[in-house]
Amino acid sequence: MPQPLSSREANLFRTVIRNYEDKQYKRGLKAAEQILKKNPRHADTMSMKALIMNAQGKTEEAFSLAKEALTIDMKSHICWHVYGILYRTNKNFDEAIKAYKFALKLEPESQQIQRDLAILQIQMRDYQGYVQSRDVMLKARPHLRQNWTALAIAYHLEGNLQQAENILTTYEKTVTSAPLKTDFENSEAILYKNSIIAETGDTARALEHLETDAKNCLDRLAVMELRAQYLTQLGRKDEAAKAYRALLERNPDRQDYYKSLTEVLGIRGDDEQGLGAVYAEYAAKFPRCDAARRLPLDFLTGDAFWSAAKAYLTFMLDKGVPSTFANLKHLYADSSKKVILPALAEEYLAAKEKAEANADSSKGVGAALYFLGQHYSYHMSRDLAKATEFVARAIELDPKNVDFRMTKARIFKHQGELEKASLAMDEARSLDVKDRYINSKAAKYQLRNNENEKALATMGLFTRAETVGGPLADLMDMQCMWFLTEDGEAYQRRGNYGMALKRYHTVANIFDIWQEDQFDFHSFSLRKGQIRAYISMVRWEDQLREHPFFSRAALDAVKLYLAMDDKPHGTNGVNGADGKGENGEDAAERKKAVKKAKKEAQKAEREAAEKAAKQDPNKAGAQKAKEAEDTKKKDDDPNGLRLAATQDPLGDAMKFLNPLLQFSPLNVEAQVVGFEVFMRRKKYLLALRCLRSAAAANKDDARVQEQAKRLREATQPLLGSMNPKLKKALETGLAAVMGR
Amino acid sequence: MDIRLLRPSDIPLIQHANIENLPENYFLKYYLYHALSWPQLSYVAVDASRPKKSAYDYPKIVGYVLAKMEEEPADGVQHGHITSISVMRTHRKLGIAEKLMRQSQLAMVETFGAHYVSLHVRVSNQAAIHLYRETLGFQTEKTEQKYYADGEDAFCMKLELSAIREQIREAAARDEPAG
Amino acid sequence: TSGDIEDEVQPTAKSAEDRKAAAALSKLDARGDDDGSPGREIDQEAVKNAMSALDNKKVGEKKEVKKVKVDAADVALLVEELELSKIKATELLKAHDGNAVAAMTAYITPVF
Repeated sequence: MPQPLSSREANLFRTVIRNYEDKQYKRGLKAAEQILKKNPRHADTMSMKALIMNAQGKTEEAFSLAKEALTIDMKSHICWHVYGILYRTNKNFDEAIKAYKFALKLEPESQQIQRDLAILQIQMRDYQGYVQSRDVMLKARPHLRQNWTALAIAYHLEGNLQQAENILTTYEKTVTSAPLKTDFENSEAILYKNSIIAETGDTARALEHLETDAKNCLDRLAVMELRAQYLTQLGRKDEAAKAYRALLERNPDRQDYYKSLTEVLGIRGDDEQGLGAVYAEYAAKFPRCDAARRLPLDFLTGDAFWSAAKAYLTFMLDKGVPSTFANLKHLYADSSKKVILPALAEEYLAAKEKAEANADSSKGVGAALYFLGQHYSYHMSRDLAKATEFVARAIELDPKNVDFRMTKARIFKHQGELEKASLAMDEARSLDVKDRYINSKAAKYQLRNNENEKALATMGLFTRAETVGGPLADLMDMQCMWFLTEDGEAYQRRGNYGMALKRYHTVANIFDIWQEDQFDFHSFSLRKGQIRAYISMVRWEDQLREHPFFSRAALDAVKLYLAMDDKPHGTNGVNGADGKGENGEDAAERKKAVKKAKKEAQKAEREAAEKAAKQDPNKAGAQKAKEAEDTKKKDDDPNGLRLAATQDPLGDAMKFLNPLLQFSPLNVEAQVVGFEVFMRRKKYLLALRCLRSAAAANKDDARVQEQAKRLREATQPLLGSMNPKLKKALETGLAAVMGR
Repeated sequence: MDIRLLRPSDIPLIQHANIENLPENYFLKYYLYHALSWPQLSYVAVDASRPKKSAYDYPKIVGYVLAKMEEEPADGVQHGHITSISVMRTHRKLGIAEKLMRQSQLAMVETFGAHYVSLHVRVSNQAAIHLYRETLGFQTEKTEQKYYADGEDAFCMKLELSAIREQIREAAARDEPAG
Repeated sequence: TSGDIEDEVQPTAKSAEDRKAAAALSKLDARGDDDGSPGREIDQEAVKNAMSALDNKKVGEKKEVKKVKVDAADVALLVEELELSKIKATELLKAHDGNAVAAMTAYITPVF
């Protein structure tokens, strides 16, 4: 039973809450202690104390205290609420939801609990729960527009478009005063409603709504783009063409506008003249526009291509635009263009060399030499001897040009000369030490040459000096994915599995952070009123881990775990390791590594404890808070020894494999390694699932049949004793793959 | 090259372009904050000629402008602010930065009624200062001491958006003749 | 004696640039605005009517849930072989009328 507090202590209790909200943790703790002195089993105070301890980073103590409080008073909504907050701050959202629901049952009127619960529900994509919560919240405070919008969002995300629209319309009807012209919460709400109507597929109604209700919306670009799109879908071609022309006036560098315009004008894709005329019109009108000049090179052929390409190339080389080759190389997919472009560059070079003396070396001759150097280095037109020659001539012309040197380094890389490449890129870097781009490239080439330490030092030239933990900590803080991944891969090649795993886990952790990042926006966006942007974020977050940043590191990690699993059985790690360095370790050494990791962890714990004991409890607060934060942040396995010492590499691999298969099912590599993991784990049905997915994603992949055979051979002897249902599913599935 | 509005799904590669090019870096959440507060103001330049590498390919970002409205303007005047702008070294001299800026400025005026736009730049960054001053017409307002983490000063620069405001007024007058 | 308590400040970022970012991010979950005024006039009567209209609409919406009997052994089999949670395994079985072979076959068939 809850103990009643005296009025003095009840006051103190309110102080505790206020202190917590103001982040004055020590004051809060002090006040809590005062209450507990007289009422040692006052559950609500115990809970508040736990909450403060949690905020100070003492997670485990906080949980056990909060649990104790709950056993004393199961009927306290404060205890349950605190329990929910503890779970929430420790990212266990499922448990948090359960606790909040208990709290809400005990205190159905609490708006704060209801609000917190709603945010958790949408974070976990419990759409039905979110609809319910937002419905309650709307009823409690229907005078706030954001409560109506929120319920509409809930229905929208749940897939109930009609109800979503209905809610928005209902709100509109309750408003009696006209909106201000500058009220962009209103402006956005109208466009949001318009997007919902469009999603129902009723384009005619969407257009009508746009042209009446949304006519004066402040997001002009959105109104113009939506109108052009709706007119196109409705086949009102003349008006659509006019709409796209208006958009091109606004932004002549938007490729989609040209494509849509020529489509509604009814110009066929092979009508080069007709298409060309449209682009020419805008090229003439906007002299600084690149798209109108570059895009025709995609569809022009023969002589028309030749003269357009010549004009384009001459213009760009005269100006010395460094991206000229990068901008044209994708045309090489067409074999005739692959011949014409370098020929034009050679022609240009010959003409310029006659005419030019001592001009700006990045333009004219220099630009042409640079173009040809890149041309012969590119994989579709590779002749590295020629590439070397052109780049050497370019460097001779301008020894201090960073771009030329960069290409020289790239040529070395293509020759497989990784050390020379690394040195050459570092030379390029030294020519412009204030440019981070070339600095990043130098670090990347060092990593390709397995020089982890050097690369980090190079990166350190631009990371923030004051970050505790040095350049690596800064790169992790700033979520520098490419470096972490390449660093891990270099360590993996060197056979340092601990460090490699460390990096891959860091990448995966950053994705966890990115997923949590949306948390605050569930309420923030309602206040800001930018609902369309919010919806687009929610949808992107749902697919977050399909990003190549994730799949690359995840694939690396799974392959490494497979190699680790292979080794104890005698087969040397075929995946990734090159036999250098510590790679020859056997089972005994692995045991040693486990021991070492354990020792180091114990030592770290001891040191932390000593440090804490030494701390004067009355020392100035800020300093101590900072130290506390430092110890909280301290990594107890900085070299990944514990990760590498795992007894269950295949189990650990699942942290990477599951999201890989869930979000990138069309990635054949992922399915292939997934098969290997499941085979070793004897999860044959799941191995078969990977196999079938690989076959569906790319039926010509040679590995599919090889793996199918292996699966059949492995399961054949087991069929007799297998669960007949499992057997049936396996046999049917295998036949589907092998039967093709 | 394609110049278009930023989408949330672009953000990882915008963050990548930023950390590749510039010393001032941000968490992904700070980009989200911009994208969800002023989605009309940030633009990207995309290498659109590049064919998709896989089913899960994201458009390659070669330049971006990350912009916002000043939430509590000290001078009480509605204005925009450029948080970060950069173009990959490999894609310079194409006028990308200028194009990104112009799109952003137009939206600042149309959607949020901005009167001017401000930005900070390292006093040593000659190339950027040249772009802002000569190409885009920014003027140096003042120097902010030790604005950057490494102790370097920043120029605080400003561009009046009256020309764009005028354009919009004229366009509106054309569409709806007084009556 | 509250000297140790007074300055419980968060360590601040060194540069103006970082401080700006940190300040913006720390304000994201501010709650104050929730109590803000509605801004525009609202017809309270219309609100009341609208709310009750919403409730009436919802009555007919409840979908009927199909009752399917699911064998516990089959659930266990799916949990083991497909590494699904018990809830997910039960849902999958129900979606296939309790037929374990059909459920497993569907699960391993690519949807693309």
